[in-house]
Formats: sequence, C-alpha cells, structure tokens
Amino acid sequence: MIAAGDVVKLKICMAGEGAVGKTSLIRRYVLDQYDDRYVATLGTKITKKTVMVDNPRGPGQIQADVILWDIMGTSTLRELLKEAYYHGAQGILAVADLTRQDTLGALDEWARSIRSVAGDIPTFGVVNKIDLAGQRAIPAAEVEAFFTKRGWPWAYSSAKTGRGVEESFVGLVRLVLQSRH
Amino acid sequence: MTTFERPDTARLVRLRLAENADDVDALFVLAALRVQDGDVRSGLTILEHVLRVDPRYPGAWRFKAKLHRMQGDAAAERLAEERAEDAGQ
Repeated sequence: MIAAGDVVKLKICMAGEGAVGKTSLIRRYVLDQYDDRYVATLGTKITKKTVMVDNPRGPGQIQADVILWDIMGTSTLRELLKEAYYHGAQGILAVADLTRQDTLGALDEWARSIRSVAGDIPTFGVVNKIDLAGQRAIPAAEVEAFFTKRGWPWAYSSAKTGRGVEESFVGLVRLVLQSRH
Repeated sequence: MTTFERPDTARLVRLRLAENADDVDALFVLAALRVQDGDVRSGLTILEHVLRVDPRYPGAWRFKAKLHRMQGDAAAERLAEERAEDAGQ
C-alpha cells in the first residue's frame, strides 16, 4: 500500500515507431524545450523526472521518481532487445504520429513485446504532432476506437507546442500508481 | 503523409562510429545487429567493449545475459543478470 509522503520509483518505457516524437516528448516534458531537427535515437536514453501526484488510495500526495526509458523505434531489433529494455518496466507510454497512419496500429506490437517481458502493465496512448492537424492521416474516430477497444486512456499531444504533454506523462504515472496494491 | 523518415539503422550506426569509434549507443546497436545477423560471438565482443566504456549502459547487462543464454553458458548468464541487478536495471 502506498501512503502519502512515500517516494516511489517508476520505470516508464516509451514505445512506438521511429520518428513519432518519443524523444521530443521527453525533452518537452523534462526540459520544456523543443528542437525541430530530427536526430534518430540509437539504443536508449534514460531521463529522470520527479513528479508529485495525488495519492490514488488516500489523502495527500506521493512523490514519484520517474525513470523514462527512451527506446529507439527500430522494430526489427525489438524482439532481440526486449529483455534489455523492458525488464522491470511499470508503465508504457505508447506514441503514434497523427500524420502517419501505420504508427497507430504498430502500437499493438510494441505493447505486446513489452508486456511479454514486464507483464500486463498500464499503457497510456499518445497521438503526437497534433500541431500538424492539417496533415492528419488518422481519422479522429479511428483514434478513439483504437484506444477504446484496448482500454488505454489516451491524449493528443504536441511536443512542439507542449499541448497534452504533461497530461500524458502524469496520466500514466497516475495509472501506474492506481494499479499498485 | 510522412513527416520524418528514420534513417536505416545500420547506416546510422556506421555514421556515428565514423565520428566517434567509442560511441556507446552506436556500439550497442552494432552488437545487436551482429547478433541479428547470426554472429552472437561478435555481438558479445562488441557488447563487452560497450560495458568497458560504460559499465552502466542501460540494458547492456540484460542483453549480455541473453547472449550468454543463446550460447548455452548458464554461469555467465547468471553473472550478467546479477550485474544487471547491481546496476539497478
């Protein structure tokens, strides 16, 4: 049981195809910065962020020391490296790109791979690049249906403008804490 | 519409290593690419170099344990798993 004043350490894994904006979301969330230049992630980068959230099981707040694993979106190496990256993961931030249709459906395989190592851990869906709504490739109804079917809470986000970013990360932290006994 | 195209991973690794032969991210992925191509021994050698450069490289000990398991070396696998635990991974 988690009590107010407790400090919990959470390992959160970013999931999703290459270039959906995983690194940019972390950069926006942790540093409140954005860079338009795309630099593909190789391997993984770990970033720490402390978050205060309401205690889901009582009064007061809990300090969550969140370890964000920004994992490269190379699906061809996913199975080989899954134990290396996903061991001990407690939550998944599953990121799709509003401008690329295939990135939404691809989240199933990312989530399946992570859960095959870490178990049935909470997942929060993010459809990033809402600032590029004029280039939308995934209809709103399809986004809604996808996440509803899987029971994943979700949000639109833009690492560029900051919209929906904090809500997504904090939403996942809350989910993870609610799932703990 | 595709906003960004992710470069081919193998090409990206070559470019990064051309700039810095000790780029641990590139070396880690190179190890994985070698294993994917069926050369576990070479992958393990590269991974051990990664761990000499950065003994806490995220996921490296777990990956090493997996490679030892693929080679049927249970003792080395167990040691690598212990190092992963020690590294908090």
